[in-house]
Amino acid sequence: MAASLASKWSRVILVGRSLLGGLGNNLSGLSSTSHEMASGNFLSQQQRTFIQMRTVLKVVDNSGAKTVMCIQPLKGRKVARLGDTIVASVKEAMPTGKVKKGQVVHAVVVRAAMQHGRFDGSEVRFDDNAVVLVNKAGEPTGTRVFGPVPHELRRKKHVSILTLAEHLA
Amino acid sequence: MRLEKCWFCSSTVYPGHGIQFVRNDAKIFRFCRSKCHKNFKMKRNPRKVKWTKAYRRLHGKDMTQDSTFEFERKRNRPERYDRNLAENTLKAIKKIDKIRVAREERHHKLRMKGKKAKEQKEAAIELEQGIHLVKAPSVLAQDQSLTLPKIKVKVQAQAEENQAMEE
Repeated sequence: MAASLASKWSRVILVGRSLLGGLGNNLSGLSSTSHEMASGNFLSQQQRTFIQMRTVLKVVDNSGAKTVMCIQPLKGRKVARLGDTIVASVKEAMPTGKVKKGQVVHAVVVRAAMQHGRFDGSEVRFDDNAVVLVNKAGEPTGTRVFGPVPHELRRKKHVSILTLAEHLA
Repeated sequence: MRLEKCWFCSSTVYPGHGIQFVRNDAKIFRFCRSKCHKNFKMKRNPRKVKWTKAYRRLHGKDMTQDSTFEFERKRNRPERYDRNLAENTLKAIKKIDKIRVAREERHHKLRMKGKKAKEQKEAAIELEQGIHLVKAPSVLAQDQSLTLPKIKVKVQAQAEENQAMEE
């Protein structure tokens, strides 16, 4: 059921993107803005979705990794959202760091471009997909976390990440 | 519970509505509906978009400085609940709203003052210049006050011809 849901989502995304592609072309034809503006216009109408296998995420702690690719969302889920843990492979790393390229790590999603519903009915979304590397027990590998971090982590019992965060969204 | 202001159009965002966008520099943008959110994504400047409060305030369409706005300032200190205080606040909100609306109406009236006289003057000029669009030429011919006086030329045959054509 969840698999069919994911496939339905991907179909919706494909349809949406093709529609938006058509719309984007019209916009660029009609408006007298520069080419960059028109392409920016088209790109900003993206449909943001889940974090799944092959999703590349930014690492926002000082563990040494720069980017990471999702291999598997944990807890038997098909897709990962804000606050979920994932298994990932390190794609890019700083030469001096606790993790090396090609290492398989666990990570917690701290920022997601897809909107996440809050209990008061509102929705939050961030600018990018970002992740904090974590060990199997859930403790962060790094000692600092950069950028804003949502309250959702408290519910997921990632208090240790919250304490390291500089901004709390 | 807190009533926020939409970043784009400055309307109130009630709980359960809208989207909150957190930028990587931790600045939070709240939007009341997808219209405002989409305009933001298009990188439109609210000060240039006509229907927003920001534009209206900037261009003097709505009043900017008033003592009634002081009551709506953001307070970060939570007040201890007091029934009397809550009751008085609710009464005060109603009264302040009434006063604010009255002042806004006055501002609008002041802004529109002289418009009627200007419109009438323009209408009079237009009437004088374009009367041929309104009245038929046959009526203009009959009613001498609407046309310039015609100089009569004594050619008998031509006068008869004109009368035949008019019929």
